[in-house]
Amino acid sequence: MTSQVVPRLEIRGLTKTFGGVHALSRADLVVMPGEIHGLLGKNGSGKSTLIKILSGFHKPDEGTLHIDGKPVALPIPLGRSEKIGLAFVHQNLGLLPDATVLENLILGDDARSGRWFVNWTAEAERARRLFDQYHIKLDPMAQVADLSPVKRAQLAIVRAADRVSSHSDQASPGVLILDEPTPFLPIEDVRELFSMMRRLRDSGVSIIFVSHDIDEVKEITDRATVLRDGHVIGTFESANTDRRDIVAAIVGRALTQERLVGDVSGPSAPLLTVMGANGGTVRDLSFDVRPGEILGLTGLIGSGYDEVPSLLAGAQKALSGQLRINGEVYDLARLRPSDAIGAGISFIPADRPIKGLALDISLTENAMLPLAVRGEGRFRLDHGKRQQTTAGLIERFVVKANAPQQAASELSGGNQQKLLLAKWLQLGPKLILLDEPTQGIDVGARREIYERLLEACRNGAAVICATSEFEQLEQIAHRVLVFERGRVKAQLRGSEVTKSSIEASCYGETRTHEPADA
Amino acid sequence: MERYGLVIVWVAVIAIFGFLRPDTFLTWSNFSSIFGSEAVLVIVTLGLIIPLTAGDFDLSIAQTLTFVSMLTAILSARMGVPLGYIIPIVLLAGAAVGLINGAITLYFRIHSLIVTLGVGTFLHGITLWMSDSQTISGVARTLMQYVIIKRIFGIPLSFYYAIVLAAIIWYVLSYTAFGQKLLFTGRGREVGRLAGIAVGRVRMAAFCASGVMGALAGILYTGTTGSANPTSGTTLLLPAFAAAFLGATCIKPGRFNAWGSVIAVYFLVTGINGLSVLGFRTFVHDLFYGGALVVAVMVSQLINGRKERAL
Repeated sequence: MTSQVVPRLEIRGLTKTFGGVHALSRADLVVMPGEIHGLLGKNGSGKSTLIKILSGFHKPDEGTLHIDGKPVALPIPLGRSEKIGLAFVHQNLGLLPDATVLENLILGDDARSGRWFVNWTAEAERARRLFDQYHIKLDPMAQVADLSPVKRAQLAIVRAADRVSSHSDQASPGVLILDEPTPFLPIEDVRELFSMMRRLRDSGVSIIFVSHDIDEVKEITDRATVLRDGHVIGTFESANTDRRDIVAAIVGRALTQERLVGDVSGPSAPLLTVMGANGGTVRDLSFDVRPGEILGLTGLIGSGYDEVPSLLAGAQKALSGQLRINGEVYDLARLRPSDAIGAGISFIPADRPIKGLALDISLTENAMLPLAVRGEGRFRLDHGKRQQTTAGLIERFVVKANAPQQAASELSGGNQQKLLLAKWLQLGPKLILLDEPTQGIDVGARREIYERLLEACRNGAAVICATSEFEQLEQIAHRVLVFERGRVKAQLRGSEVTKSSIEASCYGETRTHEPADA
Repeated sequence: MERYGLVIVWVAVIAIFGFLRPDTFLTWSNFSSIFGSEAVLVIVTLGLIIPLTAGDFDLSIAQTLTFVSMLTAILSARMGVPLGYIIPIVLLAGAAVGLINGAITLYFRIHSLIVTLGVGTFLHGITLWMSDSQTISGVARTLMQYVIIKRIFGIPLSFYYAIVLAAIIWYVLSYTAFGQKLLFTGRGREVGRLAGIAVGRVRMAAFCASGVMGALAGILYTGTTGSANPTSGTTLLLPAFAAAFLGATCIKPGRFNAWGSVIAVYFLVTGINGLSVLGFRTFVHDLFYGGALVVAVMVSQLINGRKERAL
């Protein structure tokens, strides 16, 4: 007993039910000192319930928690988690953008911002030492709003680590719980974040890393635990476990990574031609898409690929350029969303809660909005018919919902995305523009979304999908345009569309011999 | 239950005051006078919920009422213009106020709260200037005939005008595509814009509609008293907001709605009428309206909060 290493955090038999449904069922989790431990699972697998119990938000029905071998009474009083050695960094990071790095660092920290007086000079000095310790280049006086996303993430994480080490009653480096800090970071920034996490680990801190991204978990974690339907499926050594086994543990059935698309089957005349589009970061973009084709757009963050769908949908103002669809030519600088919709273009934006769906409004009103705007039932909305149509869409798109009248906010992220897809695909668009269509969505729902897109392609539609997930392109894109500084640097087709070749192309030298509009 | 909560509270309030003062409170003449005289407040509240649904505030509506009331009195009493001309003129004036509110809000991208606060105060200045800060009476009697004197079932016509307007707004909000456009403009503006809604035009239309409603309320105000008082509308703004938010807790909880607004207005004035019958003095107005506004907003937060927690 004494010779063994005492786990930093030990959860045994943690159980939580909501209305008789087990959100978490006899879950065990053991995190060792100086370990990065992955936590994997679909939406609704119990991941967030477990974290919310640790943060004191939920009261568990049963179960014990030990930190450094000492029992901790559950539930943890809200706001006490730092005292017992737990600190959280959520996806939104919890930083004030209008304040400085230093202000954010000591924000709400009683020990630092004393009751009456803050010694700013001393605090700035302390902050610099803290940043040096983890090799982070941050100016304590910089505005958080001016920082790059990765710097913000680093600030949030180092702040959490600092809080635990200075507040914990346990005199141990504590546990950081990082709840999906990476989805909005470009790859090179993820690497930077990882090296910082390794330095934290080497200084003795334990980290629980929650993520959807299996490759990231394999890369950064020492061990990982998979949850499914509230049960712990298993804990494994990350580096030595096959990716496919992890996927199988997460989804409960093995999903193949093979390409879902073959050759473009539609006629060879282009359905859409873009000529000389300029706007945002995009420069002189010309390309065409055939009916039945899925064109992927990708690149590193800031390369402009993700602006193309909104430029073509009239959602973001273009400076110049033309769009030809079905023989009609549109001036991109004057294109409004209603023009694009009228031309048979549907745009599915990335920012779902702001641009995709009005979350506190019913499923029916959300799903029927394009029809109402088009003028259906202008002077007499047929509520019965609208609900029936919505119920039909819910069934056809496999949206898990109780009733068409419920608020969209009550659906999980994946089901919201399916509803959003249904909202636009019901119009039978000729061109479907997607921006990060599977952000924050579990593997199962992803597959269903792909199938809807493939179905639309079989019916002669064309799809343009902007994404930073190369894996997704490998699965569904016939052709991929890789962007750099607003321009297309490479084009990959057919069997060239693989995760590794896209990655190589993103980081590789600019290729000029194969222009995209050839 | 939630949908009719306010109705139940209203009935309970009537029962309590009726029990305490059966002879003065619980009489048809008391109620018919409440129904008639508060029609103006109903129309102001109905006017407010249109821009509120589209996500904008119109703080100028009460001053539009005062301005139009004064304009009506001056045109009729001082200049002898027939009502048939006055009514279209003042309705246009109301729409013009809305147009100004909308144009400034949209073109300069300023929050409507600030714009309409300024425009309303400016309008009040014009009203005081126009009237030399005097009450103007001697308005054509026909107007009073058709507003407050003629009665159906003992209730003045003004009440029925308010009900007709409520029915129109109810229909537009719940049964037309424009109602859906208003809703998304307020609750998911970017979602609406990407679905092809010309959100600027919708907001402009909402401001103009509330300007016209303010003008209608102004005409009825002059018709109710037979005169125009340069500060008449000032005390109506807060009660109207209180009623709009309180109305959003019933009938269609979580949304500004016409019938909820009507019920909320009559609930509030019943409470105040009852308290004054019991002998409380005018300070109860402020206590009651101010309290109701805060409570209404708290209740709607609770309704929304419960939806979020249900996740």
